[in-house]
Amino acid sequence: MSVNNLLENWAQFRHFHPVDDKPHDPYKWAMSIDLDACSGCNACSVACYAENNIPVVGKEKYAHGQAMHWIRIEHYWDEDIGVPGGREFPEQGAQFLPMMCQQCEAAPCETVCPVGATNHTADGLNSQIYNRCIGSRYCSANCPYKVRYFNWYDYPTTDNVWPETMTRQLNPDVTVRSKGVMEKCTFCVQRLNAAMSTARSEGRKVHDGEVQTACQQACPTNAISFGNLVDPESRVAKQWARQQVELTKDKQTKDAEPGGSRLRGYRILEELRPYPSVMYLERVRESAV
Amino acid sequence: MSRHHLLALFDNFDEAEAAIVELRAGNIRGFNPDDLILKSPIEHPEVEGVLGNKPVHIQWFTLVGAILGGLLGFFLISGAQANFFAQIKGGKPIVPLPPNFVLTYEMFILGGVFITVLGFLICAGLPAKRSPLYSAKVSEDQIGILVSGDESAIAALKAIFSKHKALEIQEEAGK
Amino acid sequence: MEKDIRENIAWAQINKDVLRSLEAPRPLYWVILLVALAMVGVGVGCEIYQYQTGIGVANMNNPHVWGLYIATFIFWIGMSHSGTLLSAILHLMHADWRKPIYRFAEAMTTFSLMTAGLFVMIHLGRLWQFYYSLPYPNERGLWPNFQSPLLWDAMAIFTYLSSSIIFLYVGMIPDLAICRDNMHPGWRKKLYSLLALGWEGTDRQWRNFRVTYLTVACFLIPLAVSVHSIVASDFAMSQQPGWHVTSFPPYFVAGALYSGCAAIISLFIILRYVFKFEEYMTLSILKKTSRLTFAIAMVWTYLNAVEFASVWYSHDEAAKDVLIQKATGTYAPFWWMMIFCGSVVPLMLAFKRFQANIPVLFAVSLLLNLGMWLERWMIVAPTFSHGYYPWAWDHDQWPSLVQWGIVFGSFGWFALLFMVFCKVFPSVSMYEVKEMVYHRSLALKNGETAEEGVH
Repeated sequence: MSVNNLLENWAQFRHFHPVDDKPHDPYKWAMSIDLDACSGCNACSVACYAENNIPVVGKEKYAHGQAMHWIRIEHYWDEDIGVPGGREFPEQGAQFLPMMCQQCEAAPCETVCPVGATNHTADGLNSQIYNRCIGSRYCSANCPYKVRYFNWYDYPTTDNVWPETMTRQLNPDVTVRSKGVMEKCTFCVQRLNAAMSTARSEGRKVHDGEVQTACQQACPTNAISFGNLVDPESRVAKQWARQQVELTKDKQTKDAEPGGSRLRGYRILEELRPYPSVMYLERVRESAV
Repeated sequence: MSRHHLLALFDNFDEAEAAIVELRAGNIRGFNPDDLILKSPIEHPEVEGVLGNKPVHIQWFTLVGAILGGLLGFFLISGAQANFFAQIKGGKPIVPLPPNFVLTYEMFILGGVFITVLGFLICAGLPAKRSPLYSAKVSEDQIGILVSGDESAIAALKAIFSKHKALEIQEEAGK
Repeated sequence: MEKDIRENIAWAQINKDVLRSLEAPRPLYWVILLVALAMVGVGVGCEIYQYQTGIGVANMNNPHVWGLYIATFIFWIGMSHSGTLLSAILHLMHADWRKPIYRFAEAMTTFSLMTAGLFVMIHLGRLWQFYYSLPYPNERGLWPNFQSPLLWDAMAIFTYLSSSIIFLYVGMIPDLAICRDNMHPGWRKKLYSLLALGWEGTDRQWRNFRVTYLTVACFLIPLAVSVHSIVASDFAMSQQPGWHVTSFPPYFVAGALYSGCAAIISLFIILRYVFKFEEYMTLSILKKTSRLTFAIAMVWTYLNAVEFASVWYSHDEAAKDVLIQKATGTYAPFWWMMIFCGSVVPLMLAFKRFQANIPVLFAVSLLLNLGMWLERWMIVAPTFSHGYYPWAWDHDQWPSLVQWGIVFGSFGWFALLFMVFCKVFPSVSMYEVKEMVYHRSLALKNGETAEEGVH
C-alpha cells in the first residue's frame, strides 16, 4: 500500500521547496519590519508574552539565559564609540532590531528534528508540534537566527511564573507548554486559524488587515506589517514588491545592479538559503538620538 | 546391527591427521568415512583438508540478508515518508534520497550481519544436542576423532587409533 | 627484546590461567568495582534530579542548547571504534599480536556504545517520550523524521551495537565451551552451558565459524566507519559555522580510533594487573599498541591541521571567527589543552623507552583520553557561543554540577559493566591464544627443519 503510494506519486515527492515548487496558495503569511520606525520600546515583546502565554522566567533564570522572549529587541551599537573622532556616548549609535522566528520557506530546523515535530505548513508557516517534541534541541542548534526557545523547566507549575491573579490573563486559545519542549514565534497562528476559518465559512479569503499579529497590533510606530503575500493588494505584498524582495531568491536581482540597490528591503542571512518570510527595511536615520 | 561410537583423543596433531588419512583410505567394512567428526580446541584448516571437500554455504545467507536488509530499509523508509502526511521539511523533497541512502546502507549491514549469524547457526547446527561422546580435553589441548560404525568395524577402527598413539579411546554402543 | 608469550606454554595452562581470572582477581578489582558503583550512584542521582526538575538544571540556555551530554556522547561513541579496529581490521590483516587483547577491546566497544546510547536519552528534554524517535508502525501513521542526522545516529548505533554484541558473542562461543567444560556445577556452569550452544569444536562447527567470523568482521569495518561519520554528520550536515566542515567525517573517524586506542592502553594496563594476565598481555603487545596509537595520533593531528587550515584560507568569515574564538576566547584554555594532550603528548610514544613503560604509558593514555574528550567538547560548545547571528555571540555557559555529575557517573557505569564482564566472561581469548602459540611453534619447527636441511 505504502509502496504503491510511493511509486504512483514519485514525481510529487521529489520537489524542492520553494525554488522548484508551486507557490503557496491561497495564503502565504509574511511580515515586513521597518527598522527606521522601530523605537525599541519592547511593546511587541510584551504583547507577545501576553498573547502566547509565554512564561516569565524571573531574574535568576533570565540571567542564566533561559528567557523565552519569542520576539526580542536586539540592541546594536556602532563601533566608533570611544574612538578618537567617534561618538561620545554609546546610545548615540544605538539601533534596534526586533527578531522572531523568520518562518523560513526552507527552514534548517525542520530537516534535523528526529521526530518531525516541526514542519512547513500549507500557508507557509514553520509549525511546531509541542506534543510531538522530545526535546533533542537540534532545531535550535541548527537555527541560524537562534530564535527557538526551550522549556528548561515546567513553567506552568513553577512558582511566580504566573502568580495567582495572573493566571486569569492567560490566553485560552493558546496552550501552555510543559517542560522539555521547544517553542518559538508562531506568527500568532491561533489568530490566523480563527480568521481563515471565519473566511472559509463565509466563502471568501481573509482580507488584508483582518488579522493582526500581537506584536503588530501593539507596535506604537506601526513598524510591523503582516499579511498574505499571495494577495497582491495586501500591505505586506506591496511592500515586498516595492522593495523588489522576492521570496524564492537567495540573491535578490536588485542587489546585482552595479553599485548596489538603493532600496531598503533585505532579509537576514538570505545567503544561507532558508528563504525567510520576514523582510526588514534598513534604517536610514543615522542614530537614535 | 547396532551402531557404535568411538572417540579417540590425540595429543599429537600430526598423528591425528595420519589416523584420519588412514581411516578414509582404509575402506573398512561397516564404516563410512563421512561418519567421522574431528573435534579440536582450535581451528585446523590443514587437518580439515584431509576430511575431503566440505563446502561452506554461509556466504549465500550473507548475500540474501544484505540485499533484503537494504531493500527493506529503502522501501520502509521511503514508504513511511510518502505516507507521513507528506509534510515538507526544510524545503527538501518529501522522499529525499541522500538520507535514505544512509539508512539503507545501515540496514544493508544490519541485514547482512543478522542473517549471516542465522546462517551460521543453521549451517553449524547450533544450538546442538551434545554428541554421545565428548571429552573436556578437546576444548583444552587434544584432538578428538569421533567415528561411528557397525559393530564389525570397531576392532579395525580401534587398531588404527592405537597405531597412531591415541591417548585414550572412549566407546559407546549407540542406538 | 621484551618477553613475549612463550610458544611452548602448555595449552592446559592457558585454560587454567584465564579461567582463574574469572574467580580470583586481585583485591584492586573489588576496589574498582566499588568506586565504579559509587560513581554510578552520583550519576543516577543527578539524572533523577534532572528528570524531575527539567533539563534546565544542567545549566544550558538559549541558544546554548547542547552541552557536555552531546560531547560525552561523541566521546563514548569514539571509544567504541578501537575494539573493531583490533578485532576486525587486524583480523583481516592477520596481525597475530591482537589475539590476547581483542576480546576486552570488543567488550569495550560494546559497553562504550551502551554508555553513549544513554547520553542520547539523558540529553533529551522529554526522556519519557523517547520512543517517538523509534520507527514503529502505529495506527496514526506517525513516523520519525528520517531526514534527521540524529535518526541516522540512532539507526547506526543500533546496528553497530547489535553487530558488535553478536561479534563479541560469536567470537566467544569456543571459549564459553571451555568454561562450560571446566566449571563446577553452579550458576556459572548453567550460564556457560546455555551460551555455548552445545559447541564441541567439531570440524563442521569450526569451518562455519571461521567463515562467519570473517564475514561479520568484513561488515564491521565499513559499519564502524559509517557510524562515526554519521555522528560527524550531526555537525557537518548542519549549517552552523565551525560544524559545517567537509573534513569532519574522516576527522571524527580518526579521532575515534585515536581515543579508542588510548583507552585500550589504559584498560590493558589495568586488566593486566587486576587479572594477573602478565603472561598473556605482554609488553611486546603493549609496544605494538602504543606504536599504533602514535600513528593514529599523527593522522588525527594532520586532519586537525587540515580543518584549521581550510577554514583559515577560506572566505567563510563566520567559520573563521569561530576558530579565532576557540583559540582566544573563553574556551581557549581547554582548546589549547586539547592541542597539547592530543598532539604533543603522543610524541612521547615515539620514544622506544616509553613504548613499554607501564607507568608512563598509563599516564600518557589518560592524558590522550582527556585530550580527546576536550576535543569533542571543543567541537560542540564554541559554535554555540559564536555562531552566525550576533545575538548569540559571547553567550558563555558553564555546565552545572548536575551535568558534570552525569558525565562523571558515565565513567563509573562503563567501568562497572566492563569489570563485571571481565569477571563473568573470559577476557582473554583462550582458543585464539592457543592458535597463536600453535602457529608460532609451527613456524619455529619449520625453521629448525630448514636449518637441519642446510647442515
